[in-house]
Amino acid sequence: MLLELAAEPNILRIDWVKFTFGAIALAVVYFFVVRKSVPKVMKVLDERHDAIEGGIERAKKAEAEAEEIRQQYREKLEESHREYAQELEKAKEQRAAIIAEAREEAQVEAQRIIESAKAQIEADRQQAFVQLRGEIGTLSTELASRIVGETLSDSAAQTRVVDRFLEELGQDESAKQAEVR
Amino acid sequence: MSADVRILAAEPGCHLFGDNGCGFTAPTIGMFFPEPWFANIPGSAGIDLYLVLLLVAVGAVLLLWSWFSRKLSLVPGRRQSVGELLILFIRDNITRPTMGEKGDKFIPFMTGIFSLILAMNFTGLIPGMLPVNSNLAFTVMFALTIYVMTIVIGIKHQGGWGYFRNQIFPPGMPKWIYVLVTPIEILSVFLIRPVTHALRLFATMFAGSLLLAVFAYGGWYMLNLTAEPMLAAVSVFYSGAALLGYIAFFVFEIAIMLIQAFVFTLLASLYLNQSLEAAH
Repeated sequence: MLLELAAEPNILRIDWVKFTFGAIALAVVYFFVVRKSVPKVMKVLDERHDAIEGGIERAKKAEAEAEEIRQQYREKLEESHREYAQELEKAKEQRAAIIAEAREEAQVEAQRIIESAKAQIEADRQQAFVQLRGEIGTLSTELASRIVGETLSDSAAQTRVVDRFLEELGQDESAKQAEVR
Repeated sequence: MSADVRILAAEPGCHLFGDNGCGFTAPTIGMFFPEPWFANIPGSAGIDLYLVLLLVAVGAVLLLWSWFSRKLSLVPGRRQSVGELLILFIRDNITRPTMGEKGDKFIPFMTGIFSLILAMNFTGLIPGMLPVNSNLAFTVMFALTIYVMTIVIGIKHQGGWGYFRNQIFPPGMPKWIYVLVTPIEILSVFLIRPVTHALRLFATMFAGSLLLAVFAYGGWYMLNLTAEPMLAAVSVFYSGAALLGYIAFFVFEIAIMLIQAFVFTLLASLYLNQSLEAAH
């Protein structure tokens, strides 16, 4: 037993043949497993990861887009509300402006009518006055001739009346003339 | 190195309560030196069982990975899922925690080395066989590969002097402490680290298969149906106990094989990370 133990080979001796074959084994595994098989599987892993990641990415993008569209829609809605309010305000102002304008125009028109009416009245009056004056002359002449005709016998009195009448008429006429002017 | 040392089993006729009175022969270190078929190689034990088991392990790894990577689709089947699970396991438990995102380019390498080491451990689960990594030559080969990689990548990323300076003069320390730290770091990084990296895997595989062999040998030794009926019953009971122990340690050994393959890969990743960026 003791002899056997002494004769036992050293387990810590490195066998170069085994070392070499081990290295060859590692090289074979390196070229076929490390360089070929594992990268192939890893590539598929990455592709799947990309696919899933891409799916999530796409979903996120779609969600973001939807959110953006919603935001835009909301903004547009708000904007149209605001525009509507503005339009309403403007319309109110316009209405007020139109009413004011119409009122002013109406006043001006009324004024104008009043003015023209006044002018017409003035003209009519003038005309009437002129006509009246003419007629008064005629009428007075007629009246005078009647009075004169009846009292023609008294020639002295006649002369006096005519004189006085003419005198008065003359005075009246000039006074009236001045008044008209 | 005599031939009888390499005989795996104890004397076939040697059993508990046997007539010939021979005692139990525990499995020896000789079980890790199987008879070579071609021994005439100077400085080597020759071509033996280890190389056949290595071939089996490499074949299994290649087959498994070519099977995993066949007919891949975006919607994976069960087969593809297993391969993906393994890659994601390596990524989430080994490269990401140690190297972060920049270590993603090492995922294939780490997956490959993990698969190969695991397969080379699992050959020990075949009854009567040994884990390939119970021979130091293979684990040294792995550790040396990682060692060379760390230095080459370190020089590439931090410059020749930069890498060594960052390793032996860890930045952010008071000047005087380098007197203490630098020799330790030189010893630790460039000597102890690769040695323990290789020895850890080797020792656990070595010890684990030796333990299993003890249970197997013991169970076989204690089983003696040719003895008196009473003693035979006792021997069956003993042997059954040994079998239970064997099964328990077999399961335990599976866990150890997984853990050691994981630890080796994790450490490789950790060492590579120090080459990618200066030590903290």
